[in-house]
Amino acid sequence: MKKDILAILALILLVSVLVMGTNIQSVDEYYMTHMDDITENSETVTISIRCDTVLDHYDRLPEELKSEEFIPSDGIILPPTEYVLRPGDTVFDLLDRAARYNRIQLEYQGADQNNFGTVYIRGMHYLYEFSCGPLSGWMYRVNGKFPNLGCSNYTLQDGDEVEWIYTCDLGEDIGKDSGGGQSLPE
Amino acid sequence: MGKTAAVGKACLNKGRELMKTFSSYHPAVLLVYFLSVILVAVIAKNPVMRVLALGGGFCLCSILERPKEIPRNLAFYIPLFFLIAVITPLFFHNGVTPLFFFNGNAVTLEAVYSGCNTAVLCVAVLYWFQCYQYIMTSDKVLFLLGAAVPKLSLLASAVLRFIPMFQSRFHKVNQSQKAMGLYTSPSYVDKIRGGLRVSSATLTWALEHAIDMGDSMKARGYGLKGRSSFSLFRFTGRDGRYLLIMAALLLVVIIGMIKNIIRFSFYPRISTFPQTPFAWAVYAAFGILCFLPSVLEIKEDLKWNYYRSKI
Repeated sequence: MKKDILAILALILLVSVLVMGTNIQSVDEYYMTHMDDITENSETVTISIRCDTVLDHYDRLPEELKSEEFIPSDGIILPPTEYVLRPGDTVFDLLDRAARYNRIQLEYQGADQNNFGTVYIRGMHYLYEFSCGPLSGWMYRVNGKFPNLGCSNYTLQDGDEVEWIYTCDLGEDIGKDSGGGQSLPE
Repeated sequence: MGKTAAVGKACLNKGRELMKTFSSYHPAVLLVYFLSVILVAVIAKNPVMRVLALGGGFCLCSILERPKEIPRNLAFYIPLFFLIAVITPLFFHNGVTPLFFFNGNAVTLEAVYSGCNTAVLCVAVLYWFQCYQYIMTSDKVLFLLGAAVPKLSLLASAVLRFIPMFQSRFHKVNQSQKAMGLYTSPSYVDKIRGGLRVSSATLTWALEHAIDMGDSMKARGYGLKGRSSFSLFRFTGRDGRYLLIMAALLLVVIIGMIKNIIRFSFYPRISTFPQTPFAWAVYAAFGILCFLPSVLEIKEDLKWNYYRSKI
């Protein structure tokens, strides 16, 4: 009997740890985001989300994505928008906030789930990695440069301009010179 | 039977009723049939096809099984269905209709439907494999593939026989342990530990048995060059007719799949069911293919009962 009680306590402990580790939000709760108003002396950053490379390879898309609803005809999912920079904001924090504020669908792999220790953006606005050929996926640019850092490791500064761009060719079609996952020393 | 007797007999001694029409067809026809149904169900993502496969598998399995096994099967498959249907949305977050957000990622209605579709497929495939196990006995598998790939076919027949054998062995060990006083303690922890001990013993026995079986088959000269084995299987006109019907139905289904006529997708928005006349033809062809053995069995049963009533 004593063993049974111990086992049940251990089970309860395990379940409660699991429950504590999960965070369940309703749809409205998730999308309810506060965006600070831009005042004269607040630090700001700009973010935009584009997928115009897809328009050149429209035939590679699966049938179900070939619609105006999922791929805008100008390729702009979020036009360049200015938001207030909170201290310590990374590229991912900004993207997450902007996506919630504008109700853009976003799926990512958490930093604890991969070997790189950084958040990986799987898909945005129903456009996923590999949706447009085997070399396609989301990449980001800050002030016109591709940083060799994961998006949750890059801390933003005042006036930074973040662009999230969809590539169909490992970044070569959007101006990243070093191909593949390896980065060449500069 | 010769060398296949060792494996073949063990399968026959379960007291199953093997005098079934469908199992009397030529093994090659049966193998092609099972493979085609299972592969089409796996490859075609269309829920209609998967539900048809599930229906056909369930019907055939219910005819082949002893009646008391049917609810026991359901008691396993229904929880499995819900398990798969619940787990899928936790890993796929695509879809336009979020229900709620789980650790920052959406749990969507599309993923729930897609999970149900996958669950239907899993249960359908398990039902078909259960039927396969009843009909494609080890002697048939060894007859078909024994000459070409002796080791692989022996392995395949041993693997498919593993679970029923493991169950019966587990039962035996459990009974003898019980007779020796296991499970007398009221504590659940002790009971679980007893169960673990029994399964550990059974597992060890199963590993040893696999090696024993290999040695025993080798000692009988299994897989040696130039050896032939006796079998009663003959390819008759009836088999040819069945194969032709199957090929015709399969042709319609394969054309439908290649030409994307029954294309169905869940993400990002659930597409509508293809309802063109050709799509209906594909559904009908696959439906006939899935329910063909069940119909054969029922027809033969009716005939048998009718003739017996005349005596």
